[in-house]
Parts: sequence; structure tokens; C-alpha cells
Amino acid sequence: MGGESRVKSQESRVKSLKSEMPEQPVIDMRRLHRFFGSTRAVNDISFEVMKGEVFGYIGPNGAGKTTSMRILATLDIPTYGDALVDGFSVINDPDRVRRRLGFMPDYFGTYADVNCREYLDFFARAYGLRGNERRRALAHVMGFTKLDGLAEKPIRGLSKGMKQRLCLGRSMIHDPSVLILDEPAAGLDPRARIELRQMIRELADNGKTILVSSHILTELAEMCDRVGIIERGELLAVGTVAEIQRGQITHCQIKARVLENVAAVATWLENRGDVESIRVDGQLIRFSHVGESDAQAALLREMILAEFAIAEFGIEQRSLEDVFMHVTRGVVQ
Amino acid sequence: MSSIDSSSSPFASGDPTEISEAVIPKGTLWQMMESGIELGGERLNPILVKEARQALKSKQFVITFTLLLLAGWVWSMLGVALLSPGVYYAPGGRFMLSGYFIILTIPVLVIVPFSAFRSLAAEREDGTFELLSITALSSRQIVTGKLGSAMLQMLVYYSALAPCIAFTYLLRGIDIVTIVFLLFWTLVASVLLSSIGLVVATVSRARHWQVLLSVLLLVGLCFVTFFWTLSFVSLIVDAQATAFDDTDFWLAMAAIMTFCISHAVMFVLIAAAQISFASDNRSTKLRVMLLVQQTLWIGWMAFFWIKFEEEEILYILVSVACLYWAFAGACLMGEAAILSPRVKRSLPQSFLGRMCFTWFNPGSGTGYTFTVANLLTLLLVTIVAGLTAELEGFAAARGGFDWVIFVTLAVAYVIVYLGVARLVTLLLRQLGRVTMLLTFLVTLFLCVIGVALPLFFQAWLEGYSRMSYSIVQMSNWCWTLEEAADGNLLTFSLVPIIIYCSAVVVFFLNLLFAIYEVEQVRLATPERVLQDEREMHPSTDEKRGGSSPWDDLKAT
Repeated sequence: MGGESRVKSQESRVKSLKSEMPEQPVIDMRRLHRFFGSTRAVNDISFEVMKGEVFGYIGPNGAGKTTSMRILATLDIPTYGDALVDGFSVINDPDRVRRRLGFMPDYFGTYADVNCREYLDFFARAYGLRGNERRRALAHVMGFTKLDGLAEKPIRGLSKGMKQRLCLGRSMIHDPSVLILDEPAAGLDPRARIELRQMIRELADNGKTILVSSHILTELAEMCDRVGIIERGELLAVGTVAEIQRGQITHCQIKARVLENVAAVATWLENRGDVESIRVDGQLIRFSHVGESDAQAALLREMILAEFAIAEFGIEQRSLEDVFMHVTRGVVQ
Repeated sequence: MSSIDSSSSPFASGDPTEISEAVIPKGTLWQMMESGIELGGERLNPILVKEARQALKSKQFVITFTLLLLAGWVWSMLGVALLSPGVYYAPGGRFMLSGYFIILTIPVLVIVPFSAFRSLAAEREDGTFELLSITALSSRQIVTGKLGSAMLQMLVYYSALAPCIAFTYLLRGIDIVTIVFLLFWTLVASVLLSSIGLVVATVSRARHWQVLLSVLLLVGLCFVTFFWTLSFVSLIVDAQATAFDDTDFWLAMAAIMTFCISHAVMFVLIAAAQISFASDNRSTKLRVMLLVQQTLWIGWMAFFWIKFEEEEILYILVSVACLYWAFAGACLMGEAAILSPRVKRSLPQSFLGRMCFTWFNPGSGTGYTFTVANLLTLLLVTIVAGLTAELEGFAAARGGFDWVIFVTLAVAYVIVYLGVARLVTLLLRQLGRVTMLLTFLVTLFLCVIGVALPLFFQAWLEGYSRMSYSIVQMSNWCWTLEEAADGNLLTFSLVPIIIYCSAVVVFFLNLLFAIYEVEQVRLATPERVLQDEREMHPSTDEKRGGSSPWDDLKAT
């Protein structure tokens, strides 16, 4: 299955990253808290992101994603706890963090009456790039984001997708080692989303550490090595999709195709204690099974010993959406 | 960025000659000039470059510039027509200059400062400020960039009217000194107003407050412009009004100039402090500037006192300084006494350093002590100056020692009122968050109550018409100081003694509550920061390494 192979490739990538990377994480959230009055926007969040990793940050609206990303980007300070970027505290060494970090917020933040080149040139200057270094940075970023042809175009005339590219270009103009992208794909058409995804993947392959939040979970599943699920300011799960699935979901969906006596098979399954929610659809029987892989193998063996004509037996892979729906409760504060 | 890892940066040059070619200008003079300008441009504040690019394309600038040119042209036609036929033989420079001056003040004193305000406020409203704040630009660079952009606009407007102003000189009747004097002071006023505009822009991020503040600022600017224009036009029209050949006039101008510069710097620092990161030290630079202003004030007043030998100068010196420190102290006391680990890394370590510089650290206790220290310095300087005059037999000798009671009482009142206000805010801090504004309002409330309460009480006892100064009015600083200045307080000798004693008690009580702030000690810089510092500035490490025979001992 495509999904299965993707999960496997993610896991192997994470494993290879872990074996390659030094011990110190590039992003290290340490018991981060941020309160606004009685609202606990971020409540005791801790996780680590390693070099070259794409970390997906997902959660419903108001979950605390943007707040924690803003703290990481040195735009806000936590009520308690700290966050480290490349070993530097966002509270005590914001200037050192800023040199290593590019932030793309969920708004454009563009100026009127300037064109794309002037906009990027200004931020390159603001990041302290001078002379040839700045010119090379501009050429590199405009080439990477494919904005070369639009260099002299006023920003107000750009499409949403182009503005997103420009903002991505701005966030990487100083060649940061960490990129924080808050909803980068929001409002983009499918082509622009795919292109953005490819850019993010390319950046990660070049060694950038990326923390990206999105509501489009299929997008995240495609590009992220690991994800963190946050709700009501609390981190509910961290890991690869498969890891979270294993850790959080004790039931797995099994699909079996039976050639004859479908009703008898269904009755046989109903009498078992480890099977729930049986649905029959022609020759197909779908049910929920409680247990690990060895229990599933034992079940298949018992079905064959019971002389049922089993033509197909397999686990239905759960998507990130399923995991998300299972982990979160949809509660807002 | 290259400073992080220049070897791995995709922007790093593969060709080592690439930059050096750009740096070393060669070829014709024109090419050398171009290279020089380019090099200069590289060192300009990025905000200034961006704002200049934006401003030249903005409708506001184009409209203002066009209107200015049109108004200058219309006034040239109209003025000459009104002066004709006398324009051919009689001097008409003053008349024409007054018109051009009015045309110039509107963009320079209203539009430019308001644009500076809007420029910073719009960054905060549109979210671009957040993007700016996470760049390598410091908050001071952001503010000075905005101020620089305002100054650039001023110069463009000046240039637009320069031919017209030169024309007035050719019409005779006005000298070049008057023209330069007018234009210079208008420029200074514009810079000062622009820096105030920048401070106002940082007061609040809430949209409703921004609207209210923009209306208030616009009204204030129009008000200032009206009076500025009125006074300077009368100076233009009245040829005898200026005293350019009088040395005292230029001394007064120099004094005003130093205060304008120091205030502009102060406003820039305030605006920068307002927009700086939460864990930054927002107070020390402001306190240094307060000290500079106090020194300037004392210096100029001492100079004028020696020069003019007028006893009134001592009263002005102390009265203005007391009002200044009452305001500054009320603001300083609103600071929270929390030093971030980042600030603690740069605290003084030696006993002498801690004794002298602790009072520059943020905190209400250090703020109060800093204020009192400055007031006592002022008092000391005033008394020494006054007594010297007594011994020398000039100035203060004419009024006896009334001035001593006045200056000591004025200082004691500030110490008492600020001290009580701080104690009240310390209590309020137990209940919740105390802002700078609240501290200021508490101080103001106490000052008003201190005057109003004894007045009402005595009026209720004796009747308003029969009221005369009594010991009941002890907390009434207005009346008591007036009596002291008039020399009538000798009959109420208990009043000054009680106020002096109160000042001492309140000061020591406050000092007791400032112990926590004084106890703050330096924190060691984390190894990761030191390592980064060594990577960024390897030369400093080389300089340190092995140059001193004591280094190894220190390490062990």
C-alpha cells in the first residue's frame, strides 16, 4: 500500500536522522507555558526537533499552535518554561536565536509601494547582509522560490500563492538553520500547495530544521517526519504517524474478503471478545480488532483452521486525519 | 547568515576577489564616486533605505510635494503682485519670506511628524513590525531609521522651497542670518516633534487607542505649528525683534539647542525601549539620559547664575528640576523589579561598581533611590553655589537665606511624595499588576490630595476668606513653598523640620524595601553563548588567550 510505504519511509528517515544527528536537538521546548489571564494558551508543552527534521504541528483552531510558534520565533515570552533554538534560550538570547531562525507567520506582512526585489532586499539588509553577500542571497532566494520573473512586480499585484512564496523567501533570506512556518499552505490552490510542499522538503533535505503547522493534514502527512498534536494548549501526542497510532489507538481496522458463508464468518467473529463493530459489505467484512500484530496473525490462523474461505486479510491503514480525530476531542477554550 | 557558518552558506562567495573588487574603487572619478556612494549606501540604516523607496512612491508624498511647489509658485505670483510696483525699488524680502515660511511649516511641522507617527504605528498595526523585530535590527535602529526617514522628507521639502527662499534674499530687506535662523529652528522643531510622534506611536497597539492618539497628536501638531508660525512670522516682519549681535541671545540659543538635542535623544530612547523585547533592559539607557539632562540643566543654570548674578535663577533651577524629577521618578517607580537572566549577565560585580551602578538597573526601588540621589546632588550644587555667592557677597546675599529653606523644602517634598507613592504601589503590587501609568496616577493623586485636603479642612474650620497659612497646610507643598520663597516660613519653623524628618524617614523606609533589588547579582554567561561569541568574534578570544600570565591562574 502507498500509505504504508510512506509511513515506512518516514520511520526509516527518522531513524537515519537520529543516527546521523548530534545529540543536541535544534528545537527544544522545555515545559512551555503561556497564560493570557485565565486562558492557558500553552500548557506545559515539551518536545524536541532534530536537525534536518520536518516537524508537523497540528491541532484545532485555538489549540495554542501559533502562540507556541510565536514564542519560538522570539515574538512573545512564555509565562513559565523556556524554548531553546540551537542551544540558545528564546528568552535570554533572542538575538542569537533570531540569527538562526526564519519565521513565516500566518499573515503576509508586506509593505505597500515596494516590489518583490525591494522587499527581499530590505529584509536582507535588516539581517545584516551586505554587498555581494546580499546580492547572492537575493539571487538564491528568488531562484529557489521561482520569483525571478516577478522581481520588479509590486507586491500588491501578486497572487496569494506568489505572496506565500515571497514570504517564504523572506524567512529564508538570511539562510537560517531553523524555519518556523505557520499555516504556509492556507488558502493555496492544489498546484501551489504541491510546489510549497516540494520546497519545504527540499529545504529539509538541505539540512534545515522545519516546524510547520497546518490544518491540511494530508499535506503534513506527506512532508513531515514527525508530528505533534496539540489541543487546548496541551501536547497530546508526539512521534511519527505510525508511532502515535500505535501509542494512542489500541484498535485497528481489519478488512477480510470471504468467498463463501459470509454470514457464518460474521457470526463467528461476533462471538469473539477481541472483535468489535463488524460490518458486512458483500464479500467484504470490516471489523475492529483489539491487539497487536501477533494477535492478528492468530486470528487469521484460527479463521483458516475454521475452514473459512479467506481470500484477503489486511489492516486498513489509518491516515493522519484518523489519528488526529482519535487523539483530539474538538474542545476549545 | 555568514556569521553563523559562512563556509556552508549558499550566499558565501566562492571567489575571494569578488568583494575586494567592490570595495576598492578604481577607474574614473565618476566610477570612484559611484563606488563610494554604493559603499555608503551599504552602511545606511535599512529602515531609512526602505522608507525612502516607499516614500518616493507614496501618494502622500507626491501630493504634499506637489501642493508645496504649487503653493510656493502661487505665493510668488501673488506676493510680487501685491508688492508691485514697489518690488522694483523697495525691500520686499520680509513680506515674501513670511508667506513661504507659513507654506513650509505645514509639511515640516505637521505632515512630517505625523508621517513618522503613522509609519511606526502602521508597522505595528499591519504586523510588519513583528517581522522587523525578529531581524538583526535593534529597536533603536528601527526608531532612528524612522526618524532618519522623517528628516529626509524634511530636507526634500526644504529643497523644494529653497529657490523661493533664495528669491526673498534677492528682494532685500532680510539678512541671511535671519533666514538660516528660522529654517534651522524649524528643522530642530520638526525633528523634536517627529521624535515625539514616534513615542506616541509606541504607547498602545490597540486600534481604538491609536485612533485617539492620532487625533490628539494631529491637534497638538496643528496647535504647535500655529504658535510657531505666529511667533516666527512676527520675528520676520519686525526687523528689530531679533538680537543676533547680543552674545546672551546666542548663549540662550545654545542652551535651548542642547535641551532640544537631549530631549530628541530621550524620546528616541523611550520609543526604542517601548518596542524592545520583553527581557531587554529598558531602563538603564533612559536613566543615563536623565542624568545627562540633569547635568545639562545644572551646568547651564550655574553658568547663567554666575553670569547674571540673579537670585531668581536658583529658584528656577530647583523648581524646574523638582518638577522634572517628580515626573521622572513617578515613571521610574512604575518599573517592575524583575531582572531577566539576560540583564543579570551584565550587572556590575565589584563593590564600587555595584554601589555606583545598581541604581541604573530597572526596578521601582532603584528608580526611587536614583531620583533621590539626583535631587540631593542638585541640592548640594545649589547650596554650594548659594553659599559661595554669600561669601563673595553677590547675588543671593540680597535675599538672605530664604532660598535655602525653599530649595531644601522643595527637594524634601519630592522625596516624601514619591516615597509615599512608592509605598502605596508596593501595597498595590500585592493585589495585582501595577503599571507605570498607575504609579504615575497614584503619585499625582497624592500630590493633589496633599494640597486639596488641608485647604478644604482649614476653609471648613475658619472660612475661606479668613484663611491664612498655618501648620495644617504642612502637606500643601504649593502654599508652603510660596511662603518659603516669600520668607514667611520662619514663624512656622516646625513645618520645615517635620518635612525634613518625614523625608528622611520615608527615604530610609523605601531603601529598606529596595533591598531585594540591590541584592541582585551577576549571572554567569552560559557556555553556549560564550562559544557563539568566540565564533563570531574570534579576535577577542585571541587577544585574551595567553596574553596575560594570570590567565592560567584564573582558569584554575
